[in-house]
Amino acid sequence: MLGLPAEFTPDFLARLEQLRIKTRREYVGMGKGAHLSPKRGSSLEFSDFRHYSMGDDFRYIDWGLYGRTDKLYIKLFQEEEDLLTYIFLDASASMAYPVGDRKFESAVAIALALAYVSLASGDRVMIRVLAGEGDRVATSLVYGRYRIVELARRLVAVKPGGQLDLVPALARELVSIKRAGKVFIISDYLMMLNSVTTGLGLFGAAAMDVTAVQVLGGRELSGQGIEGNVELVDAESGERVRVAMGSRSRQQYHETLMRLSREIRSFCFKRGLHYTLYTTDRGFHDFFLRAAAELGLVH
Amino acid sequence: MGLLYPSALVFFALVPALLIAYLVRERPLRVTVSSVLAFRALRGLKGERPWGLPQLDWLFIVEVMILSLAVLAMAQPYVVRRRKPIAVVLDNSAAMQARTASGQTRFEVVRARLAAMLSSEPADAEITVYLTAPQPHQMAEPFDAAAQARSAIGRAAATDAPDQRDAVGRLLTELASGRRFSEVIFASSHPVNGSVPRNVRTIIVADPVPNFAIGSFRLRREGFGAAALRGRLKLANFSPHAQTLKVVLTGDGKPLAKAESLVESRGVVSVEFPQLAPAAVYRAELQPTDDFPLDNVAYATAGAIKAVEVLFVSPVRADADSLTTLAGVKLRVQSPENFSPADAEKADLTIFEYTVPKELPSGNALMVMPPGGDPVFNFAVRPAESIQIASWQRPDPLTDEVNFRLLELRRGEFFDLHPWMESIVSGNGGGLLLAGVRQGHRYVATGFNPFPYLGKQNLPMSVLTLNMLSYLAGLGADSVGYRTGEPWLVPAGVEKIILPSSSSVAVKPGTLFTAGTQQGIYQLVDAAGERRPRAAMLGDLAESDLDLSVPITIQAPAEETGPATFTANIPLTAYLIAAMLILAAAEGVIAYRRKRRALEVHP
Repeated sequence: MLGLPAEFTPDFLARLEQLRIKTRREYVGMGKGAHLSPKRGSSLEFSDFRHYSMGDDFRYIDWGLYGRTDKLYIKLFQEEEDLLTYIFLDASASMAYPVGDRKFESAVAIALALAYVSLASGDRVMIRVLAGEGDRVATSLVYGRYRIVELARRLVAVKPGGQLDLVPALARELVSIKRAGKVFIISDYLMMLNSVTTGLGLFGAAAMDVTAVQVLGGRELSGQGIEGNVELVDAESGERVRVAMGSRSRQQYHETLMRLSREIRSFCFKRGLHYTLYTTDRGFHDFFLRAAAELGLVH
Repeated sequence: MGLLYPSALVFFALVPALLIAYLVRERPLRVTVSSVLAFRALRGLKGERPWGLPQLDWLFIVEVMILSLAVLAMAQPYVVRRRKPIAVVLDNSAAMQARTASGQTRFEVVRARLAAMLSSEPADAEITVYLTAPQPHQMAEPFDAAAQARSAIGRAAATDAPDQRDAVGRLLTELASGRRFSEVIFASSHPVNGSVPRNVRTIIVADPVPNFAIGSFRLRREGFGAAALRGRLKLANFSPHAQTLKVVLTGDGKPLAKAESLVESRGVVSVEFPQLAPAAVYRAELQPTDDFPLDNVAYATAGAIKAVEVLFVSPVRADADSLTTLAGVKLRVQSPENFSPADAEKADLTIFEYTVPKELPSGNALMVMPPGGDPVFNFAVRPAESIQIASWQRPDPLTDEVNFRLLELRRGEFFDLHPWMESIVSGNGGGLLLAGVRQGHRYVATGFNPFPYLGKQNLPMSVLTLNMLSYLAGLGADSVGYRTGEPWLVPAGVEKIILPSSSSVAVKPGTLFTAGTQQGIYQLVDAAGERRPRAAMLGDLAESDLDLSVPITIQAPAEETGPATFTANIPLTAYLIAAMLILAAAEGVIAYRRKRRALEVHP
């Protein structure tokens, strides 16, 4: 439908529209919106008092306080602005394997769903693709839910490929971001743990509200299909490892992957980041709506 | 256990070769994964082998096992099993039908004792059963268990045929030689002459049984072409006392004649029945009855009572005139040019004068002065101006009652030696009268022409001619029937034979019929469904002599070397090949499943 992935049924879109992104901080937006801004403004949310100055709108004078103190005070209110949402999508070669698991397609669907939630809430979205082949998607901040079609068209055209060094790649992106906001980083995170923590830590240090979405294949997680003497080739680095896979080895492999995932989750928890794991053998709709809180979404 | 070809084990050297080939060929399957990060830990545990060699998996082990089994199969291993082959010679001749004092037949008594004897043998004893009648023969393939042999013996039955004691003796001598069997069991009514070899056990049921028997039943025509027959029976008394024996003769079920005669103990008499009314089948029954009823009944069949149809093929038609004077002869005359083989099939006999057929006639035939060098009979003839008869065979149905000293032959031709016809009458320059049998048909050739001299003027020639015609028309003494167990040639045109038991056997003309072990009337059925009866009877007074059983002689082996050890090599090759096939199938399944699984994830 409109070039969107098959997961985007009308019913699913309707349910996405009921969600909105919740941040743990207040960020300055680029226009009026539904998120509280650190700026003083005209919302109903009381912020502070200050002494009355000439020219102030006397509608905001707190007359009760004048009666008690015999001094004029002006009530200050918080501003409500839109939220700037940054979605970083890992399109490195590792996202293409195992082929049957459709990891990258699932990651694209998650990115588009998050983008739609943001756009439907009146926020602004920027999607950046890390690595990948074909046209590099480097959108500026877009506004309006209709822009989801354009985003979808451009993301679907991306083919996973190349090698991703997460820390430099995120550092480059961080430099280009002028205003802080909500950050989603969607990847399989199959890399050294310190790369993951450093990369995620960059955005944390920049006062961004980060959500790490890890996408793993169902068969990838179980090691299914790798049997006997095999020479494994790393999709990104080309590194080769020979192993003899049996049931015990497969179990050890699975435990190693799960340990890596737990360590990323633990890091995010300590740093106040959101984390969620999606395995492609789960139903997409079910995952997205159930994991809304972990993704940093609210109804 | 041993190996038939141990040198084949040298092929075990192929195992290292297979290992090298496997290491060279069997590179691990290359699989691209998203990251080898989680696999690195496995490599440290068990994945990598020294020098980068892949780990030997179950498939390789299976292949080594298949190769090893193949090498073993080439060496043909076997296990040695001790065996005890036993030969059982069971007498099933007609005399075994005699009833003993216990009320059972000799055969039943012998069979029961034999079963009891075999019960004591090991269950896996290898037993081969031989029967003695009509010819000594193996009953079936060797039995692997005593129970099977007992069961087969339980199904055996005594025949109406006599046995051949000399042949049985030779069989027992061969079996007792120790080359094939560790032990021989002989169950019979015949005692064994002299000392019995150590490896022969006997079950002899030879209690004397008083018996009265019909020894033979012969029919002759009173004259050529005459309807009346003359019957002659030989009666024997094998009892300790003289006995009046009464014979009742029936023809086609109707009483024809009776006769009786006092026969001394162990005496034999002949009883004549002149002028018997014509019948297809004659049955003689002896009274009083005894414990061996088989030889108290005898059968005989007459030739066709209808006129004898003679086809005369000759360029000189006038020579057939003398045959028309014979009573009961229906004559057809044909020139050689118009003769066809189908004509001969319709006649009882065919006479070829000065000519021979272009193919062997499918009926009895007389060749009178045939030309030499024909391709069918290949007669070699020499003209003779002066003929002196030098010799003749006697007794013979062709020369019976012929006074050859009065027989004058003016001119004719001599036969040289013939491949399959025998010279019955010979002259000073070679054969004058040849006779032979081919494909069940009788053929006679004369080097002289008897027909111009037929009549009372030349009585010896007339008798000789009638003998020839009688012989060829099947009316001679030899035509009365056959003895049980005696094989006979299936006559031309016969397609089926119905046995006395009413079961029928499909037959081919010219082949030997060996199923004639029952006494009674056999119906020979031709293509048109016409039946010709043929009698078969025991007709063996030696077999009927139950008072004094003839002993059988077994020649003892030259050296008594004690019980021989018999072993059998049980080959294991078939089991090895079966195991190889199972392993190969298992390997195929494993390889297929692995490949399919890999393709599902990494197409």
